[in-house]
Amino acid sequence: MVGIIVYPSWKLSIVLLFIVFIEFRVAKVSIRLTKGRTKFIVIFSVLLLLVQVLVTTNGVLLGFIIPQIGGFGPLFPITDFGLVRGLAISSRFLLLVFSSMLFVSVTDPTLLAHSLTRLRIPYRYSFSLVIALRFLPLFDLENHTVRMAQKSRGITAEVTSLSKIIRTVQYTFFPLLVSALSRVDSLSMSMDGRGFGYSADRSYLRKSSWSVSDTIVTALTICFLVVCLFLAAGYLPEISSFLT
Amino acid sequence: MLEARNLTFSYDGTTLVLDSLDFQVKRGEIVVITGSTGSGKSTLAKCFTGFIPHSIQGDFSGSVFIDDIDISELPIAEIARQVALVQQDPESQICTLQASDEVAFGPENYSTEAKEISILVDSSLKSVDSEHLYDRATFELSGGEKQRLIIASMTACKPDFLILDEPSSSLDPRGVIRLRQILKDLQNQNIGVIVIEHNLSAFQSIADRVLTLSDGKIQTVDTRSSQELTQITPRKFEDTEPLLLTAKNLEFSYGDRKVINNVTMGIRKGEIIGLMGDNGSGKTTLLGILGGLLTPDSGTIQLKDTPLGKLNAKEIAQEIVMVFQNPNHQIFEKTVWNEQILMLKALDLVSFDTLQQCESALGKAGIKELKDRNPFSLSHGQKRRLNVSSVIIHNPEVLLLDEPFIGQDKEGREFIRETVLEITERGGIALIVTHDPDFVSRHCNRVIFMEKGAILLDGLPSSVLERLKTINYKEYTDVGAQP
Repeated sequence: MVGIIVYPSWKLSIVLLFIVFIEFRVAKVSIRLTKGRTKFIVIFSVLLLLVQVLVTTNGVLLGFIIPQIGGFGPLFPITDFGLVRGLAISSRFLLLVFSSMLFVSVTDPTLLAHSLTRLRIPYRYSFSLVIALRFLPLFDLENHTVRMAQKSRGITAEVTSLSKIIRTVQYTFFPLLVSALSRVDSLSMSMDGRGFGYSADRSYLRKSSWSVSDTIVTALTICFLVVCLFLAAGYLPEISSFLT
Repeated sequence: MLEARNLTFSYDGTTLVLDSLDFQVKRGEIVVITGSTGSGKSTLAKCFTGFIPHSIQGDFSGSVFIDDIDISELPIAEIARQVALVQQDPESQICTLQASDEVAFGPENYSTEAKEISILVDSSLKSVDSEHLYDRATFELSGGEKQRLIIASMTACKPDFLILDEPSSSLDPRGVIRLRQILKDLQNQNIGVIVIEHNLSAFQSIADRVLTLSDGKIQTVDTRSSQELTQITPRKFEDTEPLLLTAKNLEFSYGDRKVINNVTMGIRKGEIIGLMGDNGSGKTTLLGILGGLLTPDSGTIQLKDTPLGKLNAKEIAQEIVMVFQNPNHQIFEKTVWNEQILMLKALDLVSFDTLQQCESALGKAGIKELKDRNPFSLSHGQKRRLNVSSVIIHNPEVLLLDEPFIGQDKEGREFIRETVLEITERGGIALIVTHDPDFVSRHCNRVIFMEKGAILLDGLPSSVLERLKTINYKEYTDVGAQP
């Protein structure tokens, strides 16, 4: 992932994206599970592509989106440089989002918290991650309820003027914030009431363990990162000529 | 023995919530403490667990002793090993993603050996009759399961005393019966149990002592008589009245889970309907569909002669309003007054007359003098009254209430009941989700009982309650999870 930020190439991103999809398959994580969200992500990446194509005007001209009709146009030129830049950005975006999705769906946060503690990160910090993940579905649910409550009061999301947008945001944000704050109180009491922070160390019932495959994956990622760094520095001209 | 001596506490330095209070509870004893909203029941629980004075500010004096040792000066984590508190909302007390992790959380904090934790997790889950939850994800548990999980995660720290704050509020009558048994088992393990509870009938039967907290002091008084609402016999209902709301073959699912299964019903003008059933049987979802807030997968709803689907959100809000369970989810404005007139503004009904009506509505709800306060700063009961009073100001025909009586004292319950009567007397209808058999038999003229998303029984309160006794839903006729 870092590699692709270091060395932006759309061909490389697409190859990696393909690998991520294979990993989804191997991990038996269904991409369809989050159908609405996936759709949004794909649409967003297409938009990214279009914007890049529209705003980049230098490069070899390939054609126009609106061709010349009589005295009107031509408008919005498409150039090869714009297309490449658009592809690079949108494929990178897709890669980042999908690989993060894969990471979240295959990682047990409790074990992740434990491994972070083993990296000498204080458990107070690693636990905040677990708690965030614990409450996400709840906020999703509450958001849904608040929207239903708005609808039942005849409040509709209006975006016709700035003040109305602010009002719409306020009507959703206020109830959610208040409910979140009251939960924070109750959660901290519940955690303190079970001795959280009692001592600098705590024990763990379930521990994460390091296996051979972890070593292999880590080694491969490091190799890949090094290759990307070399590519970016221009040390491997043969490969980079193939990729650009 | 857990003991409070001369306990005095005030949040603001002027009003005493607890006033030189003395109280003892022994190991292996179950004590129920009741009292009206705001009488300081939860405050007392926080004193016993050290959150007062350690993390909550206020004027505190007096001491808490365990076996004649003063614990007030100990850090919370030390007190927690002896006194555990199960708060009201189970949802916000769970901090991990898997049930076994949650139970292990406490012992882990005390650096217990993994082997011993594993034994504690098993035995604690077993003591709340929930071994099957071991590897379940916490967010998909039901309210009752979450509460049992929290109790298990508290007992895993091996406390000598367990305090439960309003445990019946998230339970259906079956859950209450189950919790009674669990508390009795804990009693047999020689744990002292304090149950703080609005609803006396829920745990009275297992209590060794029942106490009342009022004016900052503990008293041994029976409060049963003062809890009751004014007796009103439900009006004789003619089923020749025209139909106002009809639903045909409603179906609804969340993902793969079917929540509403072929529901058909017709509601006539003037009907007050009690909607009962287990938690998770689809009552709230059904209200959402009838209120036009959720679109059914199939089936139709008609308001008089118009299909609900043909009306827009504002037209529906004009006729059908819903009050949700959590008051915080339905307050949007910064002052009580703005909140009260919000619907008028949304529906373009603001006029001199309607504003005047708002004024008197706030008076009726008993919150007129709080007009300029931030609604979020009101008490739970006041918020609920504001919720109800702000949705009915434009005289809607259909009032949908989702468990409106939870956490309400007598005043709040009276207000809600009067509102229901007002709407139905002028020909509207009210559909009320509740677990309270007293309320339905006194005030409803029809009861609908749901099971797994379908209507199991539908009829006169007396006959439905009678029938429930014979078909394995006996709890619903006597527990009255909400008074």
